Amino acid sequence: MSDYKHPHQDAEFVLNELVGFDDLCAANGFDDINFELASAILTEAGKLGSEVLAPLNVIGDNQGVKLTERGVEETAGFKEAYQQFAEGGWSSLIADEEYEGQGLPNVLCTAVNEIWQSANMAFALCPLLTQGAVEAIAHHGSEELKQTYLPKMVSGEWTGTMNLTEPDAGTDLAAIKTRAIPNGDHYLITGQKIFITWGDHQMTDNTIHLVLARLPDAPAGVKGISLFVVPKFLLDAEGNPGVRNDVKCVSVEHKLGIHASPTCVMSYGDKEGAIGYLVGEANKGLAYMFTMMNCARQGVGLQGVAIAERSYQQALDYAKERLQGTNKDGSRFAIIKFPDVRRMLMQMKSATEAMRALAFVGAAEVDRAGRAQDEADQRRHQARLELLTPIVKGWITELSQEITYLGTQVNGGMGFIEETGSAQHYRDARILTIYEGTTGIQALDLVGRKTLLNKGEALAELLAEIEETVVALSKHEGFAEQGAALREALEAGNNARNWLLENAAQDPAAAGAVSVHFMMLFGYLCGGWLMGQSALRAQTLLDAGEGDPEYLKAKLVTAQFFSEHLLPRTKASLETILKGSASIMALSEDQF
Amino acid sequence: MKVLVAVKRVIDYNVKVRVKPDNSDVDLANVKMALNPFCEIAVEEAVRLKESGAASEVVVVSIGPKACQEQIRTALALGADRGIQIETEELPESLNVAKLLAKVVEEEQPGLVILGKQSIDADNNQTGQMLGALLNRPQGTFASEVKIDGDSVNVTREVDGGLQTLNLKLPAIVTTDLRLNEPRYAKLPDIMKAKRKPLDVKTPADLGVELKNHTRLLKVSAPAERQAGIRVASVDELIDKLKNEAKVL
Amino acid sequence: MAILIIAEHDNSTLKSATLNTVTAACQMGDELHLLVAGEGCAAVAEAAASVAGVSKVLLADNAAYGRQLAENLSLLIAELGKDYSHVVAPATTTGKNVMPRVAALLDVGQISDIIAVEAADTFQRPIYAGNAIATVQSLDSIKVITVRGTAFDAAASTGSSASVDSVSPAHDAGTSAFVSEEMAKSDRPELTAASVVVSGGRGLGNGENFALLESLADKLGGAVGASRAAVDAGFVPNDMQVGQTGKIVAPDIYFAVGISGAIQHLAGMKDSKVIVAINKDEEAPIFQVADYSLVADLFEAVPELESKL
Repeated sequence: MSDYKHPHQDAEFVLNELVGFDDLCAANGFDDINFELASAILTEAGKLGSEVLAPLNVIGDNQGVKLTERGVEETAGFKEAYQQFAEGGWSSLIADEEYEGQGLPNVLCTAVNEIWQSANMAFALCPLLTQGAVEAIAHHGSEELKQTYLPKMVSGEWTGTMNLTEPDAGTDLAAIKTRAIPNGDHYLITGQKIFITWGDHQMTDNTIHLVLARLPDAPAGVKGISLFVVPKFLLDAEGNPGVRNDVKCVSVEHKLGIHASPTCVMSYGDKEGAIGYLVGEANKGLAYMFTMMNCARQGVGLQGVAIAERSYQQALDYAKERLQGTNKDGSRFAIIKFPDVRRMLMQMKSATEAMRALAFVGAAEVDRAGRAQDEADQRRHQARLELLTPIVKGWITELSQEITYLGTQVNGGMGFIEETGSAQHYRDARILTIYEGTTGIQALDLVGRKTLLNKGEALAELLAEIEETVVALSKHEGFAEQGAALREALEAGNNARNWLLENAAQDPAAAGAVSVHFMMLFGYLCGGWLMGQSALRAQTLLDAGEGDPEYLKAKLVTAQFFSEHLLPRTKASLETILKGSASIMALSEDQF
Repeated sequence: MKVLVAVKRVIDYNVKVRVKPDNSDVDLANVKMALNPFCEIAVEEAVRLKESGAASEVVVVSIGPKACQEQIRTALALGADRGIQIETEELPESLNVAKLLAKVVEEEQPGLVILGKQSIDADNNQTGQMLGALLNRPQGTFASEVKIDGDSVNVTREVDGGLQTLNLKLPAIVTTDLRLNEPRYAKLPDIMKAKRKPLDVKTPADLGVELKNHTRLLKVSAPAERQAGIRVASVDELIDKLKNEAKVL
Repeated sequence: MAILIIAEHDNSTLKSATLNTVTAACQMGDELHLLVAGEGCAAVAEAAASVAGVSKVLLADNAAYGRQLAENLSLLIAELGKDYSHVVAPATTTGKNVMPRVAALLDVGQISDIIAVEAADTFQRPIYAGNAIATVQSLDSIKVITVRGTAFDAAASTGSSASVDSVSPAHDAGTSAFVSEEMAKSDRPELTAASVVVSGGRGLGNGENFALLESLADKLGGAVGASRAAVDAGFVPNDMQVGQTGKIVAPDIYFAVGISGAIQHLAGMKDSKVIVAINKDEEAPIFQVADYSLVADLFEAVPELESKL
């Protein structure tokens, strides 16, 4: 088992120095909110995360969940922790004040969510999904639906789920078969949904399912899918949970990781049909889902940051304690003294910092795009948000695999043994490149909708901004090498973009074949960009005698490390991209 | 009844202190600071008294530079009603703190003053008792239970060898021990509300207190490190070593 | 000027912490007076009179002092203390309770929990839970001091035959009253004074298993302690806790059984002469401070140790 401590210094550095938190609040109408308050919120969340949620992480992994006659029984201790979480008001960070939320900026919620996700990812999925359901109802539901369901979901009194996937409809949601038959003021829903995270549990007295289904007369394909609210318990006249609805969990999956998060097979309408209420207009369900996609996908990217941080902390503790070298005088020393262990720890530390920087900067674009007063500003931020989202999700979660792998590696033989906790982080991380759109889907999104569709314009703007950091680094004597390295990476990015724009039309397989390399290239480039900015900011603070010098000097080193060890990966990616689809597509299917 | 709680900003419990290379003091530059754990317990106790109806208002006071407003805000987020900061450049010695607090007590007239039994930086364990003497009020130090009973309070104290219960006439002073309660986690809405709760700033001059040094810090050094000894393979070897090498058996 | 030492006692016996305090006071000056304030405590005064180095015993025998109430006792000590260069007490819960009141009444500072005397006005004391040692000089004419007993040897309890003078003032502030007490009953020595301490941690698994440690302690004439983890888990009461927030001990042998060795625990026992750690987890941090480390199952090792001693 390993402890968790929130890396508050790094979180606060990113918020202050890279996001510009106070400016963001002032410019976007978050009155009364400033960095001081953010810091207080992070401190208190950090306590709850470390002291209440983190100790349950390993217990959840060991015990998992059980399906009994009552439904899904969550891991012992989770209910109490959830109640503490909800009573603390932590489910209400982002929601509008109108529905008892706190109306805090998305970027601050992101920083707080990192704590929950690091402390206990399986647990934190429950409020994360609830948050998604709240947003769907808040943005698209009728006033009546909002008044009926939102306050109790925002307060955490009820949880929410998202029911999209079916056995035959995963990535291809057009294949959804669940049916919704109009019946007076409601609909009767029949069908089966799979992979429903926290689809059932006993932590709260109601669960509100958001379900994609087809109306009888709906057009075929993606344009015929509608979104419904289906409560586990129907509400009585006072709005309290009453009669059980015709929906239940019929099975829970046995999984590689996140054992404490019940992944449910949900069956709707085994008897008379589950009563559901239409959200917004008919046949627009999938479009509604897409409006939430940026947040949902960035949320998973953040999980990558969180699990990497947790794995790093565990590996670091182990490396400092594990005596496995002998000095000349016979005394023993810890493995952190070995250069190769250092390499692994530096890779973990440096990459996690870069990932956190990108996750927070991406999350801030949600605030800026959603709140910008000026239309041009709004468009610009929306484009940046759309562009960064697949990189945040795809690159960060892919890199989190490597980091948790290294975490286990630092532990040596003990890393393969469950009791160190390292193996759990490695297993838990594995889902991240899969759910909420696989890495392949993210990469396709980046090359397709986010690049080819706008002729590479959004990317060009990002590249121009990175150029500014290259210039700033190059001007600074101490950062000339980092500047040069970032320039090479930037050129790789430019070349990749140009190649894609030139080749996508002629070779229909080109975009898909290079997409993951393309996405990874831009991930490392963004990481190098933000770490370069971090180095510049850290130096400025050091020169001014502000901030904790130990932390800032370490930041200079992690930025240098990133530049030397991770940024060069952009060049390898480019080389591969330039080879196109030829060898990928050449074999016939029989030859595999 | 009004309850006054005195709180102190100290180095975070989890931070390992480093002694400055010149041995002038410990290095507190940019380390994470927090509410002294015993003070947090004091705030919690006061808030519980208010929640039970025994107290009507909880006022929290802290002495130090502006940064200590953070800890006042923390206390406000935990449920205190308003704050008072007494602005000083450095953290004054216990007797000075007690004198400043005595003036605040004269102004506020609380029925109960609750303080932590000690701060985890200086480890003095003095302020509450000194305040009691200056005000000529009774004290229940190292409290593990506080029960208001009409115009008196029963305080159960953690003393060497067990527990002792005293009956104190109100107004009185209580200092907290670890087991008095388990402080709650601050709730998000309360953290937000704490920003808007009143916080007065005063100076020692406002209170008519002149700060005076009673001690001079000559040196701060790191304690001698204890070296790891040897592994013994069996109980027999252990007994042999204790008898013949350490000669303590 | 002489030094006034406040005796720690329970009205019938002089507590050993007083003897360590006498040793500390010896290093501050030559003329040592010992105040025995209590009720029906003449026997204590008699014992005090024979403590080596003590030239005079002051006996304040009055119902107001019977329970060592700080409100009353501080008035007495402050009145007597005016004529002394130092007023010194053991840093027991009684000393910690009353002495700051005395200092405030005398309008002087207090130097708490000293572990060394460098000069009559200069002392060492631990700060930050023992993670740093401060050397502090008093600027006051009367030095009010509490002494960490484990840092000083005990003075001989015989060898002197000081006079016993009764002092008359009876101060009763009338603001506090004793209600009840609940003392742990044990024939074992007090934790802070024992020469052998056997402490258990979370590794013991439950409170019943502390019987293993008790029987080892009894064999060695020692006391039984516990880590905060064991206390928090409800295995044993809090007055057994050794550590930063509990008792500070420094016995000749300290057995840490099933204790991982959190830094807060180490703060309470690292001045022990010999530390023995028994733990089945060979990575346990306690092994980094132990003189003798035994990686073993405590449920086998402790009974074996006891049977072979």
